[in-house]
Amino acid sequence: MEIRSTRDNHPSRRGFLALAAAAGAATTLGGLPAFAATPAPRRPTASPMLAPNVAARNQLWWRAPGSATSLIEQGLPVGNGRLGALASNDPSREFLTITDATLWTGGRNDTLDGDGQFPYGREDFGSLTMLATLTVDIPGHDLGAVDAYRRTLDLAQGLVSAAYDIGGVGYRREIFASRPDDVIVLHFTSAGGTYTGTVSLAGTHGESTTADPTGRYASFGASFANGLRYGAAVTAYSGTGTVAVTGTSISFTGCGDLTVIVSGGTSYAPTAATGFRDDSAQPERLARDKVLVAARASVRELLHTHVADVRMAFERFAIDLGTSSAAQRELDTWERVQARWRDNVPDPELEAAYLQFGRYLLISGSRGSLPIGLQGPWLDGNDPDWMGDYHSDVNIQMTYWPADRAGLTDTFDAYADYCVSQLPVWTEVTQRLFNTPTNRFRNTSGRVAGWAVAFSTNPYGGSGWWWHPSGNAWLCQNLFEHYEYTQDRAYLAKIYPVVKGAVEFWETRLVTATVTDASGVAREVLVADRDWSAEHGPQDTRGNTYSQELVWNLFENYHTAARVLGRDADHAQSVDALRKRLYLPEVSPTSGWLQEWMSPDNLGETTHRHLSPLIGLFPGDRIRPDGSTPAAIVAGATALLTARGMNSFGWANAWRSLCWARLKNAEKAYQLVVNNLRPSTNGSNGSAMNLFDIYETNPGRGIFQIDANLGTPAAVVEMLLYSRPGHVELLPALPAAWASAGSVAGVGVRGGFTADLSWRDGRVTQARLTSVGGRSTTVLANGRSRQVTLRPGESVTLRNL
Amino acid sequence: MSSPTTPRRQPRTRVPLVAAALGVLLAAGAAPAQAAPTTAAPPAAPAPAAAEIAQLPFMGWTSWTMQSSKYPGLNPDGDYSYLTEANVLKQADALATKLKPYGYEYVNIDAGWWRNNDWVPRFDQYARQTPDPVRFPRGMQAVAEHIHGKGLKAGIYLPVGLEKEAYANGEAPIWNAPDCTTADIVYPDLRTTNGWDSAYKLNFDNPCAQRYIDSQAQLFADWGYDFLKLDGVGPGSFKSGDNYDNVADVAAWQRAIATAGRPIHLELSWSLDINHAADWKRYSNGWRIDTDVECYCNTLVSWENSVDDRFDDAPAWSRKAGPGGWNDLDSLNVGNGEMDGLTRAERQSYATLWAISKSPLYTGDDITRLDDYGLSLLTNREVIAIDQNGGAPARPVTPAGDQQVWGAKNPDGSYTVALFNLGDAPASVTAHWASFGFTGNASVRDVWNRRDLGTQRNAITAALPAHGSRLFTVRPGTALTSTSYEAEAPVNTLTGNASVGGCDACSGGQKVGNLYVGGAVRFNDVTVRKDGIYTVAVSYVSGDARSVHVSSNSGNGSYLKFPSTGDWGTVETVSVQLALKAGVNTITFDSGTWYSPDIDRIAVPQTL
Repeated sequence: MEIRSTRDNHPSRRGFLALAAAAGAATTLGGLPAFAATPAPRRPTASPMLAPNVAARNQLWWRAPGSATSLIEQGLPVGNGRLGALASNDPSREFLTITDATLWTGGRNDTLDGDGQFPYGREDFGSLTMLATLTVDIPGHDLGAVDAYRRTLDLAQGLVSAAYDIGGVGYRREIFASRPDDVIVLHFTSAGGTYTGTVSLAGTHGESTTADPTGRYASFGASFANGLRYGAAVTAYSGTGTVAVTGTSISFTGCGDLTVIVSGGTSYAPTAATGFRDDSAQPERLARDKVLVAARASVRELLHTHVADVRMAFERFAIDLGTSSAAQRELDTWERVQARWRDNVPDPELEAAYLQFGRYLLISGSRGSLPIGLQGPWLDGNDPDWMGDYHSDVNIQMTYWPADRAGLTDTFDAYADYCVSQLPVWTEVTQRLFNTPTNRFRNTSGRVAGWAVAFSTNPYGGSGWWWHPSGNAWLCQNLFEHYEYTQDRAYLAKIYPVVKGAVEFWETRLVTATVTDASGVAREVLVADRDWSAEHGPQDTRGNTYSQELVWNLFENYHTAARVLGRDADHAQSVDALRKRLYLPEVSPTSGWLQEWMSPDNLGETTHRHLSPLIGLFPGDRIRPDGSTPAAIVAGATALLTARGMNSFGWANAWRSLCWARLKNAEKAYQLVVNNLRPSTNGSNGSAMNLFDIYETNPGRGIFQIDANLGTPAAVVEMLLYSRPGHVELLPALPAAWASAGSVAGVGVRGGFTADLSWRDGRVTQARLTSVGGRSTTVLANGRSRQVTLRPGESVTLRNL
Repeated sequence: MSSPTTPRRQPRTRVPLVAAALGVLLAAGAAPAQAAPTTAAPPAAPAPAAAEIAQLPFMGWTSWTMQSSKYPGLNPDGDYSYLTEANVLKQADALATKLKPYGYEYVNIDAGWWRNNDWVPRFDQYARQTPDPVRFPRGMQAVAEHIHGKGLKAGIYLPVGLEKEAYANGEAPIWNAPDCTTADIVYPDLRTTNGWDSAYKLNFDNPCAQRYIDSQAQLFADWGYDFLKLDGVGPGSFKSGDNYDNVADVAAWQRAIATAGRPIHLELSWSLDINHAADWKRYSNGWRIDTDVECYCNTLVSWENSVDDRFDDAPAWSRKAGPGGWNDLDSLNVGNGEMDGLTRAERQSYATLWAISKSPLYTGDDITRLDDYGLSLLTNREVIAIDQNGGAPARPVTPAGDQQVWGAKNPDGSYTVALFNLGDAPASVTAHWASFGFTGNASVRDVWNRRDLGTQRNAITAALPAHGSRLFTVRPGTALTSTSYEAEAPVNTLTGNASVGGCDACSGGQKVGNLYVGGAVRFNDVTVRKDGIYTVAVSYVSGDARSVHVSSNSGNGSYLKFPSTGDWGTVETVSVQLALKAGVNTITFDSGTWYSPDIDRIAVPQTL
């Protein structure tokens, strides 16, 4: 083994670091509206465009456009972190549904129903809704006369494109959502042909679009009953032909090229004190300004600025799971998904692309605004299932599992900033309402402190549906883990009040119980009050494994956070004492499973989608198959996971895969990834044509839930690298399908590192660890362990492993 | 299994009312049972003129489409009232001007010419239908003469059997048959027949019945008609059983036409029973394979009701058609998008399926109101040439599903290749040359767009809109060399009820059948030299469309519907895409929980 320390930057990063200047002043939360005027972005001085053969490595492609009526399954997503759109790419009718992540109806929703729970409707709790649709009609380009159609989603450069021929003349369009310019751009070009048609921007809430012939734009603006203002605008221009604003739309005639620029947003501001609004904001006018300013730059400048921005994020991570066959490469993405399932022949490039697609969604949906909810900013209507909200019992947590693991640590800010911004309302509502006598989950102690949420949350501090007492601890699990990855003390200080508030809640909620050990010795323990093990079984049981594990984790993390920040030493010590008194789950003597309830009996559904009682296996890691956890507990967890089965759907499969990866069962972990790649037809569980994960809620009705698109990539990474502070394990669960040769670079490592590694024939051939703040860790590879010590910024390469 | 079970709206709503009124009369005339007739029609002497009729699918216009529609303004005087001399001649004139140069020649008058606008029929003294004076004030002969004057041919219509209203208490004499009355030509029990039970079944044991048909045929010949649509014919027309077996009627018509002195094309309607295909082919010049294409709604047709049915129903008939008798997919209503109720893509797909199926091409559109696109569809000479090339109908070369590839080898050695997207969203469809038995480079002509697409290697892919299509003529490259594996080979594994059975049409004279409820056949020795995804040709026998789960090695496979081969003695081939690895592979056909086709053999290309 050779260890060589170096301070060199990672070679592959040099290229794009040169582009760093291009990144504009990112809009950050901190009182400013999410949609705000920003300084002119700095433009890259050199072209950031990837050579076609390089770009091809991270491209998905299709040989048919999407249906305007099935955009959720067939539209290609673009997003600038707040504004998202799905594009149909039909030659004769480019159609985009545009969503702003902050366009929420509803509000604080703090009047409980008679049962002490929250209302959960689109008016009271609210719903994410669409901002607009954009249509570019080009009647002469009927698909019936189109040859060589191809559309592409370029993940590394953040571009959707479509190219086709009509009568031997080539046409091409490119669509991107720029964060630096805060606009969506559609750029149509041709090799000798022309475009004639109409651009129409329409609101989705009954707004009227008005066009301004002199101003060369069309726009609309309105406000919701909750006071939120919003607006959108579009402009278009061409170097040839005629562009005219007429009526409520923009017409273009005989244009060899056409550029369409859209923007929009709301007056949402992440500030509880102002009711989460900035009433001075004028979104419609701002949208007009943004499109007209952007139109003053060349489309090439807009493109380059955008691509440089996306590459900065995308290239922090790379993955190679092996080489696919020539036959697989000939197929388009949808055919390939179908062939993968039909033939059960591994397609490592497709599987890697699926991971990169998840990263693309994070980059596109989680920068500078609200976090990604159940669908992110990709709606096709104003009634998304479960309001497109934030679900606190796995969904939002899973959505952010790949952020640090897959080199997108910055995208986690949206999650953390959200929690911080909501805290004042969460706290006020909890302390006022949680102990409502009709709330069956209220604290027996009669006391309440800190904060809690329900299963659903909105961006106004509002909760929806039932109280979810353990939700706060789970939200904090992600918050603290991000610190573990980054070792960023300033970040830790930012989230500390959130964590502390959750701890305070639990100090009022734990009750004592007496349990009898196998040896017959009785002892007093602390258990969580009456609750539901999400989302099945009884709703009035104490000491559920789900809660016990989460609280155990919360208390431990609080103890660490207080120590790191030098705060609350006495309190942290007393909390740690409580942690030591927590009841921890046992193995059922009858089923052999890790108990989900304080009962040897199975009180719920055997194959239930949730893995609530396994939360200590993943995302927690109190249960470790490395000898540090009693073998019986590991065996009980394994037996329970086995009983839950392999045939669930999206996020449930992803969670199972993560658990099997933690148990080092590579083939089961891989099979669950494959299960999520199963092509969805008629709404069945699996991947849609555009790779969005579809969950079949009823026969024939599938809905898009983005969590699986992010949880599955997290599982792929977890199969390649497991970490906890002070401990890194390389290739813990490498399946045969990827074993022959591969590499991954930019993997986040808890404890404050990133890792690059390559392998051959199932063995690590080289690994490189870089400190982003971490100091020392054990590295386990090929069955051997070694200690690595680094200073922040320093790297080490491990060879001859 | 061919008769649809879903009831659709009754095409002629007024008929049942009349029938109900006659029920009283029927009840009064209960007749003693008769000995079963001993023989059906005697062997037909082929009509001298028949050899010249329908050598190619006929082309023209029909009145029924607009008669049946609720489209505003078409039927101002009640249902089906569109049918008048003025309208027919107006359409004939438009046909002559716009479509005759492309081969359209028949102007076919459909149901109602002998019924008034309240659907009350009119008969002459010999129980023969006679024109309604309001609809056809100058009679039918004048109409035919006008049509002939335009260089066109005239068609007329009858329901099969003796219409109840013509019975006249059994007392009406039969023309030119002094000893016969209507009582002699039907059964004493007045059993009814045809798709609406609107007629008494003719009893051909009594020679008077033939004389009645002769009298009708003579009338049409005298009037100058060149075409007769005989409607409500069974088995078919949603009817089965002895009373609805009109084979003898059809045979009688063929004999009558042969002696009437004028060639008359005899077309049968509707949803004819495929099990009698040989009868229809023997006695007629064409047969409707399906229910009405019209929707009886505010447009002329709709995609779902029932243009798209033909994609499921046409394959079974693909080997039943040929010179002298063709599979009739019903009228081709693609000439005016707004009236048709179809998208451009649907109209093109509709015309494509009709052309490659060698269906008669007769529109029911208002020819005076064709839009530009409709005119281009109806007058694309290359598409018409495919319909009229005298070759066999195309059939699917891939399993049925939302995306389908159909094809046929043309008499000149080229191939007609059609891609269809029957799904509700755009989709790409790929035709692999291997599905047609060739490989490598082939030259491709885009028929609808009238453009040469140059050389395409191994396959062609097109993006199709919802319900869209593309139509190509492909000049093949190199013949494909495949290795065949017989299903009955001892090396294979049969499970469940699967068993080897005899099959005259099958290679090796055997097949594997009884693939139902768990029955499966696994080919165990499929050997290829290279890893890849292969176009595997599956030869099978299936008298109805059946599905089977097809997989290679450890694959999850696909559940694929194989189109009907028309009967249980005909072998057809579809190809499927399967990954195979270098070396020995398995390919499995598993019935799963239902019934699957019989498998004859598979053929695997030796090269990729």
